[in-house]
Amino acid sequence: MAILDVAITHRFSRFALDVKFSSDGPVLGIFGPSGSGKSTILHAIAGLFAPKVADISVRTRTVQSHLGTFVAPERREIGYVTQDALLFPHLSVRQNLLYAPRADGLDSLNAKRILDVLRLEPLLKRTPATLSGGEKQRVALGRALLSQPELLLLDEPMSALDAALSREVLALLLEIKEVLRVPMVLVSHRAHEIAALCDECIVLNEGRIAAKGDPLEVLARPGHSAGFDNILRLEITRHERDKGISWLELGSGQELAAPLSERALGSRASVGIFADEIILCLEKPRGLSARNVLAAMVRSTVESGPDTIVNLKIGQAHTLLAHVTHSAAAELNLTQGREVFAIIKTSGCVIL
Amino acid sequence: MSVAVSLVPGLLMGWLLARWQSPLRALLQGVVMLPLVLPPVVTGYLLLKLFGARGPLGAAYEGVTGGRIAYTTAACVIAAAVVGFPLMVESIRLSILGVDRRLEQVSRTLGRGRWATFLRVTLPLSLPGIVAGSVLTFARSLGEFGATIILAGDVEGETRTIPIAVYSALNAVDGDDAAMRLVLVSVAISLLALLVAFAFMGWQRRRLGNP
Repeated sequence: MAILDVAITHRFSRFALDVKFSSDGPVLGIFGPSGSGKSTILHAIAGLFAPKVADISVRTRTVQSHLGTFVAPERREIGYVTQDALLFPHLSVRQNLLYAPRADGLDSLNAKRILDVLRLEPLLKRTPATLSGGEKQRVALGRALLSQPELLLLDEPMSALDAALSREVLALLLEIKEVLRVPMVLVSHRAHEIAALCDECIVLNEGRIAAKGDPLEVLARPGHSAGFDNILRLEITRHERDKGISWLELGSGQELAAPLSERALGSRASVGIFADEIILCLEKPRGLSARNVLAAMVRSTVESGPDTIVNLKIGQAHTLLAHVTHSAAAELNLTQGREVFAIIKTSGCVIL
Repeated sequence: MSVAVSLVPGLLMGWLLARWQSPLRALLQGVVMLPLVLPPVVTGYLLLKLFGARGPLGAAYEGVTGGRIAYTTAACVIAAAVVGFPLMVESIRLSILGVDRRLEQVSRTLGRGRWATFLRVTLPLSLPGIVAGSVLTFARSLGEFGATIILAGDVEGETRTIPIAVYSALNAVDGDDAAMRLVLVSVAISLLALLVAFAFMGWQRRRLGNP
């Protein structure tokens, strides 16, 4: 089912916004530099801004049409979470969570699941002023989810947080996607966030759609690769507490070592790997300190600025993108079908 | 009394002037602010033309109730409210402007309409400005002289406000002691109002966690 149908034409003094797209979700990413019109699109979907000409449907319900329909934001049932959590400072965390008229108490099954996923129970009696940045964002997500939205709009929800916290929030968003199954639109200028969370992606440039399609494909194209991360969804199979390592199943007899996680055995976790931290090697090295030496096969390569991005298949059909220099790519003869070993330090893998 | 009379219109006007996007806003703002810059005696004269026995509002009031407005306590209240209104509106307008619009937007997306958002978000967050506005209006109405003496005159027990009483006492033979007593009362009331307002605003700041 289409989660979103959007056609917007609006002329600002600085630039013109002219976009048309639809998405089947469950999670759509909107990627682009600041000032490209990403947030404006979210504002239009939420009803906080009325473009001159627009046809917008959310899960097949028309919320704005060029014929004059305009549904007020309070009747759109669309959640909206921004970079700043925007909690109401005069209300407690509990009152913030229960702010929406559709939030039916914290005892319902649905509410309990939301509190559980976002670990909000210990924060209920606090006031927003006493919360850390990550805690504020968790409350903001909870507040939006408790209003039982048809669609959740996320406007750079991780941009104000440091690297560790933004990974934590990203992991929460993945859990919201998998456990709570709420369709989302994520606006971000960080490619790895889009790649980790989204099923579809559009790239926006100066108010127009520059590309759309599968996030990994779209974002691996030149110009969009800054800060690219691999994010794999894997099952935790073993904890080696004495060595400080958690092992994750890659399939086809391969395992990945990551720093010890507190997550339960058997649970699925998101593992982030920086593309820059992967070393490729033609022969299996011996006497190496790095724990992860993974057999891989080159699927494709793309040249991107000073780097070549190598798309590798590891384990059971997992994708791993690695950055190498052009000369290294040429020297190793990295072409389609080439078998290589990907070397990753344990600390280069982060369980989110 | 004049604070109570001007509080709700002041709130609405403050909100309108803070959030309404229209070229007419500047004109409206000018009209509202007028009593602040006009000499109070001129304001009083205009009010007398409006509310006096032959003025349109005064005549209408007399037609309905048989009473009159000019030279009564009601006249004092009206004079004080009109003269204090700009102060009330301006401090409310500024404090509403200080409320992050995005908080109101989030409230809308959470399912609260414009009016509910105003009551639940804008109003509580601009409380310090509303209190400041009320105190200023209160202080201004205590000190109001020019418009009051024109519209309400000096009727003992009915329209004799503190400044008018001080003025009469000073004009009377041996009125110095009485004037000094009234002056002390006036200073005490004003100081108390300011202290209460500051204490409240400090509490509100701590509550919201601002330094």
